[in-house]
Amino acid sequence: MNPFVRFLARRIAFLITTFIVFLLVIFALPRAIPGNPLATLLAQIFQQFQANPDLVRTVEKKLMEEFGFGKPLHIQFYEFVGRLFRGDLGMSVAFYPRKVADLVFVYLPWSLGLLIPATLVSWVIGNLLGALAAYKRKKAVDNALLPVFLTLSQTPYYWLAMILLYIFAVSFRIFPLSGAYSTLRMPSLTLSFILDMLYHYILPFFSIVLGAIGGWAIGMRSMVIYELGADYVSYSDSLGLPDGKVLRYVFKNSMLPQVTGLALNLGTVLGGALITELVFSYPGTGYLVFRALSTLDYPMIQGTFILLISTLLLANFIVDLVYAYIDPRIRTGYVGE
Amino acid sequence: MVVPPILKDLFRIKKLDVSLGVIVGLLLISIFGSILYRVNPLAISGPPEQPPSKDFPLGTDSWGRDLLALLLAGIRNSLYIGVTAALISLSIGVITGVISGFKGGVTDSSLMLITDVVLVSPSILIMMLVAAYLKERNPIFVSLIIGVTSWPWVARAMRSQIMSLKSRDFMYMSRMAGLSDMKIIIEDLLPNMASYTFMAFVLLMSGGMIAEAGLSMIGLGVTKGLSLGIILYWAQILESVRRGMWWWFGPPGACLVALAASLLLMSTALDEYFSPRLKGG
Repeated sequence: MNPFVRFLARRIAFLITTFIVFLLVIFALPRAIPGNPLATLLAQIFQQFQANPDLVRTVEKKLMEEFGFGKPLHIQFYEFVGRLFRGDLGMSVAFYPRKVADLVFVYLPWSLGLLIPATLVSWVIGNLLGALAAYKRKKAVDNALLPVFLTLSQTPYYWLAMILLYIFAVSFRIFPLSGAYSTLRMPSLTLSFILDMLYHYILPFFSIVLGAIGGWAIGMRSMVIYELGADYVSYSDSLGLPDGKVLRYVFKNSMLPQVTGLALNLGTVLGGALITELVFSYPGTGYLVFRALSTLDYPMIQGTFILLISTLLLANFIVDLVYAYIDPRIRTGYVGE
Repeated sequence: MVVPPILKDLFRIKKLDVSLGVIVGLLLISIFGSILYRVNPLAISGPPEQPPSKDFPLGTDSWGRDLLALLLAGIRNSLYIGVTAALISLSIGVITGVISGFKGGVTDSSLMLITDVVLVSPSILIMMLVAAYLKERNPIFVSLIIGVTSWPWVARAMRSQIMSLKSRDFMYMSRMAGLSDMKIIIEDLLPNMASYTFMAFVLLMSGGMIAEAGLSMIGLGVTKGLSLGIILYWAQILESVRRGMWWWFGPPGACLVALAASLLLMSTALDEYFSPRLKGG
């Protein structure tokens, strides 16, 4: 069998396994935790809508139906998965009667628009800087860069965001204080709105880029240092190959693990970005999750996390495929397992 | 007292001295600070939103609580959660990795499948999801949630360590001598992995402290009590940044970064010491 097809089949099987395990966990959580968390929610709804008992009864019925407590477990799970595949993530409580899926699709694009460019930019810059530091190790450049990388890599994006916001929006009023666009504007496809959006985009974007650069750079630095000690480097050196050429080989070999690193770190980056949105009151999924958490909106919490985690698993899978494609050992079938 | 030569060697590494200095320094400041600076962190002890002054060295928050007292207690609790979370994931990781590497075969493949599933799942999101369902979250719960989601890379690393140790000569000797699996693991393998295990612990600890802060920031930290993350959470929901109260969000974040970065620096230094290839010629 074509090695690439075999690789693909294995990865797809793994993706499906992971997805099933993860659905089981999401399904089991509210049911396994003692002292039914939904009871707290119901009590709260009752208080909130006291004046309207009909509404309380409707919401309660809807919730019971969605979580299906009382029915046998396997039937509950069957219905849970069935609804999921129909794209039905249930009804939000905090934003009643809007549907969870509709709400997430309003907020998710803002998060992705922030996350994807910021991740890619930080990954590219981080790798380049890391390679530079490794190449110049024991020299001033590396001695100056390494502590910066170390500190940045351990700085949460949201704290960096607080600092940047304080400096550039509070002390010097260069950038806006919050939001993704000016409050008085309606989203539209006009040049002035896009410029306004970019103006609001800069601080959140740089908080994530700056915060993420350090981690990539450290990873790349140690990979390159490791590669520089490899036999093929000394061999190429002894052949008298120009430095640039050897470095290109080293860079190519060191990039591969960084691609895997990208896949594995997407979740952490996303988590950090969600919290960063809170600092800027950016209307992304982070805001939605925070609202849902503070109102115990369980359908919303569950729905948002199902969508976010599925997106990540899929992204992970795609990065794996890219990896297989760029790694000649997998592409051409030399797989020494 | 005779100092073992390895310790003398280790203390000669500047990176290690710096990182150890920061961590131990902050821990001591937190412990002795709270003894000397006798202000109840959770009590209202002055007018609200005061900038740093002689009476309130780090100012007060919107409730009029003393931020220095909060910070001193927060450092200790964050370190505590970091250590417990690290111990939990280290135990899971080491046990899984050692069994997997030592036994091989079906045990190995099934354990590694589980490890890979946890490895690809976005741990911070899983942590949030689990924490969302708990009404009361004490520090141990929070550590547990962090611990059970962050062990997979340790398991993988331990497994490959064991695999390489397994083919060494002294292992054959022990086997020929008829030692039991348990004895081989405890007497031959674990001592050989001590340095690596310690490095893993240090990294898990910094990861745990950062994860705790993240959970707290989104409103899922400890429900009673304090930590650096909880102080940041209060600073965030009460708009300390937009209202210019740098003394509220600045110091807790700076302490968190200093601790986490020092832990990372420590593991880097140990890594260079124990695997000379990284030091580079």
